Amino acid sequence: MNDAIHIERLHYRAGKNFAIKELDLHVPTGAIYGFLGPNGSGKTTTIRLILGLLRPLSGRITVLGLPMPEQHARILGQIGYVPEQPHLDTTLTVRELIDFQAAFYPRWDRARAAELIKRFELDGEHLFGRLSKGQKAKLMILLALSQCGDLLVLDEPTDGLDPVVRRDILSALITYVSERGATIFISSHLVHELERVCDWIAVMDDGRLITEAPMEKLKHGTKRLVVMGAPAEIVNPPFRVLTRESANGGGAGENWVVGDWEPGMTSYFEGVGASVREVIDLDLEEGFVELLRSFREGRSRR
Amino acid sequence: MFHGIDPRSPIPLYVQIAERVRLAIATGTLGSAAPLPSVRQLAAELRINPATVIQAYKDLEAQGFVEIRHGAGTFVRELAPGRRARERSQQAVALVRKLLADARRSGVSLAELQRALETELGARTT
Repeated sequence: MNDAIHIERLHYRAGKNFAIKELDLHVPTGAIYGFLGPNGSGKTTTIRLILGLLRPLSGRITVLGLPMPEQHARILGQIGYVPEQPHLDTTLTVRELIDFQAAFYPRWDRARAAELIKRFELDGEHLFGRLSKGQKAKLMILLALSQCGDLLVLDEPTDGLDPVVRRDILSALITYVSERGATIFISSHLVHELERVCDWIAVMDDGRLITEAPMEKLKHGTKRLVVMGAPAEIVNPPFRVLTRESANGGGAGENWVVGDWEPGMTSYFEGVGASVREVIDLDLEEGFVELLRSFREGRSRR
Repeated sequence: MFHGIDPRSPIPLYVQIAERVRLAIATGTLGSAAPLPSVRQLAAELRINPATVIQAYKDLEAQGFVEIRHGAGTFVRELAPGRRARERSQQAVALVRKLLADARRSGVSLAELQRALETELGARTT
């Protein structure tokens, strides 16, 4: 299967302090792909590179099979994009904005736009500038969905919105995906929301990709272990050691957080004279926090 | 039927959904030939990936509980006599196992658990 977005060895620099380094991303066609990272980690910059709005220093970006930014004029018509900040003319009405947008997209779906106006309870006669934050977000989603793209790129689409609006927006996105089989690339730091809908997750920090994996693999491969009698040096473990610290109260026990874990790997510890007393499941948020912590500690040690 | 589906649980969502449907079939909430919600409808309602719902329905089909008729929907199959009852006792075993695991984790002894169970049952029947 082809990737809807494929990025190889991407480098980008903005000023002295921010750079994207060695970025590789693979967004499978048809995936709902969650792009996680703290503020300032490079999510929005990556999205702008994917859309061909910025030019990389080096590396390759392919979107829907075509190279970016060279072909961005051809590709943008097939991408529904919702930026972090709405950028529409505040003096136009909802209806005027929809008609304006429709004129640019040959695949524009009038029926869907009409259905979403109703579903989102938007009033066509209202001025954009007078809409609430939630209504603005809904209109942005309406515009992105009605252009019938094969790829949706959403930059924090539900950030700062109330739960009812978030729910309406997510339901509309899911309905769209079940009807059209489109690919969704969605950046957010609302981890629980992504945990529900995404089947792929990537985590970014400080301009670098920390991990990219199918959701189930990431969730079920990240565990907290209580380990007894572990030697100080661990050689070639079959899993990834993210963090390791002595358990509260000292003794021989240690808390480990590991990645790429599979059932049965406890036997590795027996082989080195240690034992695992407990294997504790982590949810996506806990796993995300541990991944970031391990990444940052690894950097400061270097 | 799908109330309380928990995306944070270590049990994958498709497994949770399939379990709920199996329980509904076992208890008769879903009778023979009853339709399951469409993939699109259930995914939008639970705000989960449509692929997750498809996976759950496929698993249910492989286990013989439902039949996926393309273009028409997913329907509960006629079950062999005794299968509902068997499925219910399996559900009961699963519930007890979960209770025992929870008790062990929170340090409640078996004797205490048994006493609490008897008290509760007594309170229900009187």
